Amino acid sequence: MYISAKDEHHQPSPLKFDIPKGWPKPSKNIFAKNKLTEEGFQLGRKLFYDGNLSADGEVSCASCHQQFAAFANYDHDLSHGVNNALSIRNAPALINVAWMDLLHWDGAINHLEVQPLAPLTNPIEMGESLENVLKKLKKDTAYIRMFTAAFGDAEINSQRMLKAMAQFVSSLVSSNSKYDKVMRGEAQFTDYEQRGYETFKRNCNGCHKEPLFTDNRMRNNGQHLNKKLDIGFQAISLRSEDSLKFKVPTLRNVQLTFPYMHDGHIYSLFQVIDHYSKNIDTTQTRLDPILKKKINISNKERIELVYFLYTLTDSSFVRNNRFAADHITTIKNPHHPQLVN
Amino acid sequence: MLKKTIVFTGIFWWLLMMAVIIVNAQTKLGTVVIHFSHTANQQPLQFNDSVYANDFGERYTISKLKYYVGAFKLDEKNLSLGFDKYVLVDANQTENKIIAQLPEGNYHSIQFKLGVDSTDNCSGAQTGALDPLNSMFWTWNSGYIFLKLEGNSSASTAPDGRIEHHIGGYKDSMNVASTIRLADNIAIEAGKAKDIYISFNLDRYWNAASKIKIKETPVCMSPGFLAKTIAANFNAIFSIGSKTITY
Repeated sequence: MYISAKDEHHQPSPLKFDIPKGWPKPSKNIFAKNKLTEEGFQLGRKLFYDGNLSADGEVSCASCHQQFAAFANYDHDLSHGVNNALSIRNAPALINVAWMDLLHWDGAINHLEVQPLAPLTNPIEMGESLENVLKKLKKDTAYIRMFTAAFGDAEINSQRMLKAMAQFVSSLVSSNSKYDKVMRGEAQFTDYEQRGYETFKRNCNGCHKEPLFTDNRMRNNGQHLNKKLDIGFQAISLRSEDSLKFKVPTLRNVQLTFPYMHDGHIYSLFQVIDHYSKNIDTTQTRLDPILKKKINISNKERIELVYFLYTLTDSSFVRNNRFAADHITTIKNPHHPQLVN
Repeated sequence: MLKKTIVFTGIFWWLLMMAVIIVNAQTKLGTVVIHFSHTANQQPLQFNDSVYANDFGERYTISKLKYYVGAFKLDEKNLSLGFDKYVLVDANQTENKIIAQLPEGNYHSIQFKLGVDSTDNCSGAQTGALDPLNSMFWTWNSGYIFLKLEGNSSASTAPDGRIEHHIGGYKDSMNVASTIRLADNIAIEAGKAKDIYISFNLDRYWNAASKIKIKETPVCMSPGFLAKTIAANFNAIFSIGSKTITY
């Protein structure tokens, strides 16, 4: 998959970022100063799957963002970092990240390109220094080749590394679930799913807005303060009205991204629905106004709703080889027939 | 008639532009060299070994002092720093020097910004002075540390008697980017270099508009009220001198 070293006049091949029909434009700045290219994407993918980015060589981005779990951490309320450390929040699914202005549960990260710095340097996640990561990359001839292919020369620096990672992660677009096929007129909901969709539109669409199934805003959804005393967005904004606000997660592939909520304390979708219909802490003064009235839902509607949520599972996304670790890919590059695998 | 008017207007503008270009070409440029130096207790700042005392009698040593400066102006004339918009001043370097060219003339003030503009806090991965490799970026809460001061003090209540002041914040109410304006007569002569010496006085860091006692605030690690309180002293820290301080 590398470009021949003799090819000195190589230009990276631009990639088009396809916005699914009817979707809004991606977040400002995502590609403004970071042109999406095949070589940048491939470099980003290699970095994403590389355990060498962590202090002990064991933890990669993909350790906690697994493709088969729609880039969440399957069956983990919290995730494992280096030295048997345990994280304090649930690893969010990396789905349609290009549409997000703020990242992390507490909205602390203001741009996708600087997001990797957080897990990379956090002692309970990858526990490594940026300096050391760059040192390791500079010693690796595969990286020297791939940085050259992506950026035109062999310089390896933090900006290039972060931009390549942003190219890969922003390419993780899920828009081919059964729901999408129904919307495109290529498939039909079953009666259960259709009624579940009606229930969804009545009760959930306020925050989990179609087509992204999130409004990407910070909201207090009536959870109790957990034992880690995680106050969410308030710690970032320093405003008391932001107490216990967390970023609304997407519901796309929600069947695969359990456990749920910022600390992963809810294990099933039925329990999530129960949270909104029964367990919301309505005594909280900062509770989102939209949730002041608990959701009124019958047991039948609850089941139908879950059937609908299953239609948001996008198997072509979780099985897309382009998003998987490096071994099974081919590059299509008409200008460079000497590309080899 | 209309056509004629357009042609004449066109010629008029062309002549005017040529005149502007010619005048510009005749403007003679001089060079300004801005030096940053750092003092504590009227002494050139020495790292680690020298013990200083602030106005509250608290004794301390300094192990790190770095800060971003940019948007330099002499009167209303912007100084271009070349490729980079910011310079990271490191007090532990033997020299912190900024060189720029500007039209000759008599200027009466120098102005610069301590900190990083809000746009540059939200523009993703950067390089040069703003490279996160410089350890001046908060990874867990995106944004630049505008000023980093670290050291030790027996007055500090933090572990190992540490002083850790990481001052920054770009969001509306938390913004601590400060414009520093210093009055001076600065004569820029064509073809010559004029040195300007800006002095950072650590004594004023602790005691100016705000009284910053190490005992009470040994650590400040995020934007917010405390950072604003400390940054209120930024204006008083700097002064202009006639010659550099020798080490």
